[in-house]
Amino acid sequence: MEVSPMSEENTTTLFGREFGEFSSRTTAVVAAIVALAATFAAGIAFPDSIAGTLTDILTSEGTLSSALRLSVPIALAALGGIFAEKSGVINIGLEGLLIISAFTAIYVTDITGGVWIGFVGGVVASVLLALLFAIVVIEFRADQIIAGLAVWLIALGLAPFASQVIYGRPNSPSVDTPGTIAIPVLSDIPFFGALFDASPTVYLMFAAVALSWYVLNRTTFGRWVRASGENPKALDTAGVDVSRIRYAAVLLSGVLAGMGGAALSLDLGQFTGNGPTMVNGKGFIAIVAYLFGNYNPVGAFFSTLLFAGLDAMQTVLQLQGIGLPRQLIRIIPFVMVIVVLAFVGRTRIPAAAGEHYDTGDDNR
Amino acid sequence: MATAVHLDGITKRFPGVIANDDVDLSVERGTVHALLGENGAGKTTLMNVLYGLYRPTEGRVVIDDEERRFESPRDAIDAGVGMIHQHFMLVDPMTVTENITLGNEPTKWGNLAVDRDAAREAVVELSDKYGFDVDPDARVEDISVGEQQRVEILKALYRGAEILILDEPTAVLTPQEVEELFEVFEELTEQGKTIIFISHKLGEAMRAADEITVLRDGRNVGTVEADDTTREDLANLMVGREVLLDIEKPPTETGETILSVSDISVDDDRGVRAVDDVSFDVSAGEVFGIAGVDGNGQSELIEALTGLRKPKRGGITFRGEDVTKRSRQHRIDSGMAYIPEDRHERGLVMDFDLVENAILGSQHNPAFESGGRIDWNATRSHAEDIIEKYDVRPPNPEAISESLSGGNQQKFIVGREFERDPALVVASHPTRGVDVGSIEFIHEQLLELRSRGVAVLLVSSKLDEVQGLSDRLGVMYEGEIIDVVDPSNTTEEELGLLMAGEHPDDDDTDVSAADVDSVATGGESQ
Amino acid sequence: MSVGDRARDALARLVDASAAERILISIASLVLAIAVGTVLILVAGRMTTCAPSSAVYYFNVGFCYDPVLVFDRLFLGALGDPLRGGWSPDGQFAITMRETTLLIFTGLSVAMAFRAGIFNIGTQGQMVVGGLAAALGTLWASPFLSGVTGTLVLVPFGILVGAVFGGLYGAIPGLLKAYAEANEVITTIMLNFIATGVTLYLVSDVFKDPNSPANQTVPLPDYAQFPALLFGARQDFSLYALFFGVVTLFALYYVLEHTSFGYDVRTSGIQPEAAEYGGVDAAKTIVSSFALSGALGGVAGALYVTMVIGKFQSGVPAYGFDGITVSILAGNNPLGVGFAALLFGVLKSGTTAVQFATDVPPQLVGVLRGLIILFVAMPEFFRLIGRRLVKPTDQSKTIATDGGESNE
Repeated sequence: MEVSPMSEENTTTLFGREFGEFSSRTTAVVAAIVALAATFAAGIAFPDSIAGTLTDILTSEGTLSSALRLSVPIALAALGGIFAEKSGVINIGLEGLLIISAFTAIYVTDITGGVWIGFVGGVVASVLLALLFAIVVIEFRADQIIAGLAVWLIALGLAPFASQVIYGRPNSPSVDTPGTIAIPVLSDIPFFGALFDASPTVYLMFAAVALSWYVLNRTTFGRWVRASGENPKALDTAGVDVSRIRYAAVLLSGVLAGMGGAALSLDLGQFTGNGPTMVNGKGFIAIVAYLFGNYNPVGAFFSTLLFAGLDAMQTVLQLQGIGLPRQLIRIIPFVMVIVVLAFVGRTRIPAAAGEHYDTGDDNR
Repeated sequence: MATAVHLDGITKRFPGVIANDDVDLSVERGTVHALLGENGAGKTTLMNVLYGLYRPTEGRVVIDDEERRFESPRDAIDAGVGMIHQHFMLVDPMTVTENITLGNEPTKWGNLAVDRDAAREAVVELSDKYGFDVDPDARVEDISVGEQQRVEILKALYRGAEILILDEPTAVLTPQEVEELFEVFEELTEQGKTIIFISHKLGEAMRAADEITVLRDGRNVGTVEADDTTREDLANLMVGREVLLDIEKPPTETGETILSVSDISVDDDRGVRAVDDVSFDVSAGEVFGIAGVDGNGQSELIEALTGLRKPKRGGITFRGEDVTKRSRQHRIDSGMAYIPEDRHERGLVMDFDLVENAILGSQHNPAFESGGRIDWNATRSHAEDIIEKYDVRPPNPEAISESLSGGNQQKFIVGREFERDPALVVASHPTRGVDVGSIEFIHEQLLELRSRGVAVLLVSSKLDEVQGLSDRLGVMYEGEIIDVVDPSNTTEEELGLLMAGEHPDDDDTDVSAADVDSVATGGESQ
Repeated sequence: MSVGDRARDALARLVDASAAERILISIASLVLAIAVGTVLILVAGRMTTCAPSSAVYYFNVGFCYDPVLVFDRLFLGALGDPLRGGWSPDGQFAITMRETTLLIFTGLSVAMAFRAGIFNIGTQGQMVVGGLAAALGTLWASPFLSGVTGTLVLVPFGILVGAVFGGLYGAIPGLLKAYAEANEVITTIMLNFIATGVTLYLVSDVFKDPNSPANQTVPLPDYAQFPALLFGARQDFSLYALFFGVVTLFALYYVLEHTSFGYDVRTSGIQPEAAEYGGVDAAKTIVSSFALSGALGGVAGALYVTMVIGKFQSGVPAYGFDGITVSILAGNNPLGVGFAALLFGVLKSGTTAVQFATDVPPQLVGVLRGLIILFVAMPEFFRLIGRRLVKPTDQSKTIATDGGESNE
């Protein structure tokens, strides 16, 4: 695995190669900004050109608000993924956690009538599945990738199965949604007003991003999580139980992904369970988002917003009738991920991620 | 004086192994106690028992006259026992302060946040108190090994350790750093701390310890006052018989130059220059040794020569061919045998049996492969030959490599490499972690090759080994070969100084470097 | 060495301790998954409603779903009810064989990569690309030929085109991993999405069948499709394809165990540092293993097109993902893949039989699949149980070394 440290705040790296990587990531960001600025300039100068249309789309409130809405499940799952992987457990089953919570949230809302009770129900379901994953991986030393895959497949089967049993079809009936909350005055600001006229789940996402960053970087728990993923033995010999930290981190990933899944289905008021279900790869994109964001909750949020923004744009572009076919615009984020992985910065994954940790004692 | 640590009849059994057998050990407060023994004598196991990592099968641990039962290191820490492991238990991307306070962070706002100022202050205060010079804000991955060790010691002190256990603390240090460490020991014992350190080096134990306990095969074979003993006595205690490490080396004729290295520079995994402008030659029928403290670029140099790492600059000529850009496979095929320093990682595929391992490196050799198909019958008889000739036990070609003892694994590797009919053997720490009988055997085999006109490049951190086997000896320090000496005319002390980077007559450094160059390709560097 | 010796030798290797353990764990996982599935069926049967007359009663409690019936249909139904008499190869059994054939190839694809230490989640994408390429290639070539000659040339040609394009598509993550150190788990997941998106675009636009509302290519002429043998054509199964699959199983086994390429692959897979030491070109091995893996996925795509649906259509079923399950259950052993593919062929085809006979939702099988993988992934769990059963007081665990180099 790649070994050079690459954190955003780390501008004092000493070695040439790291500096090179750092600068290449910076170059990419600068290039993106320049391209964006050029588009805007062209768009303002020639409002009728394609650049002009693009500018319209990029600066429209509709794009921002739908990007935010699309971001919620991905960003929350990504935050969960950060905690798990930082602690040394690669949780590739985020997709499954999203699916199970998306369905359970709708189901509980349907029988209780309370949207927020349903939300909690979704989170609980996700935490239970995460607990199963944690036991299998930590207690029984299962391969993390394979067990994560199993979590995904189980949820992928279980949620539509339950929907079929309960509702007689893979899609649930519609239930209430949390609606939107508009903050007076602020919501009237052009463009950025979209930030203040959104579903409560969007605000929840903002809070979760900030809180996750704080927990990871400012609390003892966050420090132990990081140590557990980098050098579990160091943590163990410092007297902290590595298994407990990993359990906590994986369960936390269950909580966060559960919030994401519940938000996904409740905002639409329905669970759709055909094919890859309504989650449709969002859990995997979340993994890419946090890798791209270098395990920083804020970075993960912005890369999520980038992917979601592209997704939102393609819907709008569709309506504007611009050239590229929908199926091809759809794949842009995936192509971008590959290009970024291959040519720009490489993310340094925690040194002990994916490895089972054994205290080495025969007595425990 | 009070007894700080008393281990009473400690026995520790693992399935099939008795690591410690009824060991008694007493250490006075404020003293330095050395635990001496060969690899596998049970030193580390005993200390892991004291540190709560293992629970003893039998016996008592008494700290400050009170019997303790440690369930985990946490209990040991609470009782004032701290341990600095051989492999540091540090989190590389975290800062010195974060590492020292890990697990015991000062907090504020009712545990809602780490009090980072308080943590930093505590670290500064602590390092001032013991006269340590560490930057509290530096990342651990950016500081030297010696500094990392001091961070480990501070970590233990921060946790209130009164008794410090250090596992092979000098293995990764230069002689100066070792000296500095021993000064730290003095400072600590003056302030009332008790130190137990593990070592297998007689000189260090005698230099730094007040008392020395020797372990052999898991038993305590004697505790002596450092001032009342001699090296010979200690050596006999350790090995249990007279030590004869004198190597008989018949003179040979050296032939043509087989390997020629000119001005080579190599980076390590982190992109830091590890080998800087090194040149030397190895001729047929001679052993060229490279001595040095581990981590001075030997590994990277060897990897560059054998084709496992790309050099940044310079050239490698092997049997008259420039192989600098040639693949590892090409070098194997042209007669370069290589005993790697890490047999578990590289030398053997641990899950393969010996038959499969017998062709590692020659899987494309026409002797074993034709038309892409491996001839397993030929391979099998080849494995049987190696096993017989090099006395590998158990003599079962179907044995999975992992099940063999370290000495037998090494003998198998040595056999495989020697049976390639090589022109050059690169032997990197060929006897590391190997029992005494196998060491002698491997030494004999190396000299046998030498007498057959094979060139041998030997890297070892064991001074007696490189000194005894080599015809010429290069000393490596911080990526450079700072001198090439005739080992028979050089004392251990002189070599020690060279390994510490101190050239006896510093003015001549350039001359000796030029000497080496002129032996090499004779030109490029002038 | 005589043939007998060889056979004994092969047998000895086959039943050595670890292989036997692996087989035991696979069987135990299956049994455990069925047990959990039974509970699930019973619980679901309590949650749904049905007429009292159609309910079954266990311990005086009524359940709407009957697990015995479900598993009876799932396994016996998939085999065409061999116990009832009047068994015919043309029914459900042919469908089971069809699924098995496809799963052999996707399973081998994943297993091949696994043996090289690579986690290829991209078999699905490679299959999709290979399938479309096979369809387009065959359509391009079919006007030049017809009749039996057409079949003899076009079917192998389609498979070849599928293998080549699947292989090329598989080489992409290989190159990315070898030369840009890009994690293959992520790149292959992305490439799956890309393959689906691009092929969807192509068959909804450039290569769309103008006479069909579906996103699909023009149907292949009959002579360009796999001919049926012994089995009726109605189930879209050809015994030739199954033969081909079985031959491929043994071929891959031979390549891995008896060739120097296989030696390089296995060495890289279990100990990359040792492979490097042994002169194995890591980058080359990664790329070629990935390409071979992709080619096997591509063949699966070609078979899906030329044997099953006779055209390329968007929405290719998830055989690639099932391949991961098959490979994991088989311990990544090519011969084991044969058995695992048969098991999953039964599960997939049995789903239909279950649907006919009961009201139990077919997604149940998806859950079983996930459970089987989960259990196979935790051998430690079974070892623990095994130890308890065999020797309650045994406290053996791996020997903890004391940190240094003192394993001696």
